[in-house]
Amino acid sequence: MTAPVRGLAEGLAARPSRSWTFWIGLILVGINVIAALLTLVWTPYDPSSTAGGRLEAPSWVHLAGTDRLGRDLFTQIMIGSRIALMVGAGAVATGAAIGVTLGVLAAFATKWLDDALAAALDILIAFPTLLLAMLVVAASDTATLWSAILALGLALSAIVARLTRILAKRVLRMDYITAARTAGTSWPAIVFIHVLPNIWPTLLVSFALQFGLAAIAEASLSYLGLGAPPPNASWGRLLQEAQSTVYTAPFGAIAPGLALLLLVIGINMTADGLRDVVDPTRRGRR
Amino acid sequence: MSLLLVDGLTISAGGAPLVSNVSFSIAPGGRMGLIGESGSGKSLTALAITGLLARTMNVGGSIMLGGQQVVGTDDSTLSRQRGVTSAVIFQEPMTALDPLMRLGRQVEEPLRRRYRRQGIDTQTAKRDVLELLERVALPHPERIARAYPHEVSGGQRQRVAIAMALACRPQLLIADEPTTALDVTTQAEVLRLLDELVRDLGMALLFISHDLAVVGGVVDEVTVLHQGVAVEQGPVSQILHHPTHAYTQTLVHAARAFDDALRGTR
Repeated sequence: MTAPVRGLAEGLAARPSRSWTFWIGLILVGINVIAALLTLVWTPYDPSSTAGGRLEAPSWVHLAGTDRLGRDLFTQIMIGSRIALMVGAGAVATGAAIGVTLGVLAAFATKWLDDALAAALDILIAFPTLLLAMLVVAASDTATLWSAILALGLALSAIVARLTRILAKRVLRMDYITAARTAGTSWPAIVFIHVLPNIWPTLLVSFALQFGLAAIAEASLSYLGLGAPPPNASWGRLLQEAQSTVYTAPFGAIAPGLALLLLVIGINMTADGLRDVVDPTRRGRR
Repeated sequence: MSLLLVDGLTISAGGAPLVSNVSFSIAPGGRMGLIGESGSGKSLTALAITGLLARTMNVGGSIMLGGQQVVGTDDSTLSRQRGVTSAVIFQEPMTALDPLMRLGRQVEEPLRRRYRRQGIDTQTAKRDVLELLERVALPHPERIARAYPHEVSGGQRQRVAIAMALACRPQLLIADEPTTALDVTTQAEVLRLLDELVRDLGMALLFISHDLAVVGGVVDEVTVLHQGVAVEQGPVSQILHHPTHAYTQTLVHAARAFDDALRGTR
């Protein structure tokens, strides 16, 4: 994957994206990344002990107020950001590894194997993500951070595989593939030299969008109690805990909801601008 | 012994014959032109020689290339031979180059493969790419090597494609309508370049075109294809001056009428 990474670096260095959406998106994601990294060494308050009165409204002391046990909500939202990013990145990485491999294999496979794979992928995509996640969690006895990552990764892999298969098939029909074959390039080399670099820009945009999907799905899993267990303060769990007091202390639900909203908007805005960055044929075009 | 011996080549798809019983041979260093209108089966014949026809096509007859039977041989065996015995230059230089790869790297790939095969140190590959680009008369090789296909002109792209084929140092160069997509001036330049390179490097040439006038200046022998059948075959001067088959006669007349028209405007 060195060539695509180099392409991304070159693209960013060429600073092609003058679209403001891309940079605002990057700032929103950046704030989340900084907050998440910060929680590894420092948090405003101890996330698991009382820091003030119960259900305090937001103030300069508690930026997002406190929960019904008097714990600082802003601290928990910061940690939730780490969980969201970890699950998002983990799920996309898992989905990409499985999905791209399957998709490329399907593109090269004989007709009946390709048809069988395509049908299996369609069924997997039709399967509700949350149901699939529940099955994985049920199969692994207890809900952990890893079971959430695996479950969402599997669900995403079907989408990635189908997209990869279509993109790879289109590239394989191109003249430059025939040209490379006539010059003696082997099939594995064709995949790494020509197919992957050519489908990478589209895949990367798709990965970014799926990152946002995974963050939302993680919140849903945690809301249902199937996500990362305490003391991992997931945004979904914060929402669920705030549900009983939503009329007396709405900030408890609004704050984590807003955090999720801003992250997903940020990711989607970044995804839109990414294509211009990674695709050299689009560089400098406006 | 001939480098390429096509004997009774027949290609059909879904029962419909596309190429019927075509035979010709090229000696090492020899030059053969394959002429015919579009759909006459000339590009199919070229693909069949490289063993890259779609699996849905039925191939009959025999193709001996560099002592290796191509028809019915498995792909991995042929893959090792490709680039060694033959390399192809395609008609459309825009689509025959990877749009997302720098031109220098596209030439470097086959060059490195040949170096590894021949046990040559690949350290010099990057520099040798520039030499190859210079060899095909590209100005500013360093700039071209860093550029992407969409950043250079059509003629320059075709020269890069020729450089890629040269990087393979094949015994047989197959040029499939290499000048059709280019304007007339560029066409003449690329033809002269091809002619020169094939002579200097001692390669055999299979030149495929619909244009008798283009082929006439480059090759020694001509095979005329019409609806998948080889209707006439022989030395280029004989075909040009004494065409026997009706189809060849129309081709020659068309080429001559075009020449006369050009002369009239001068």
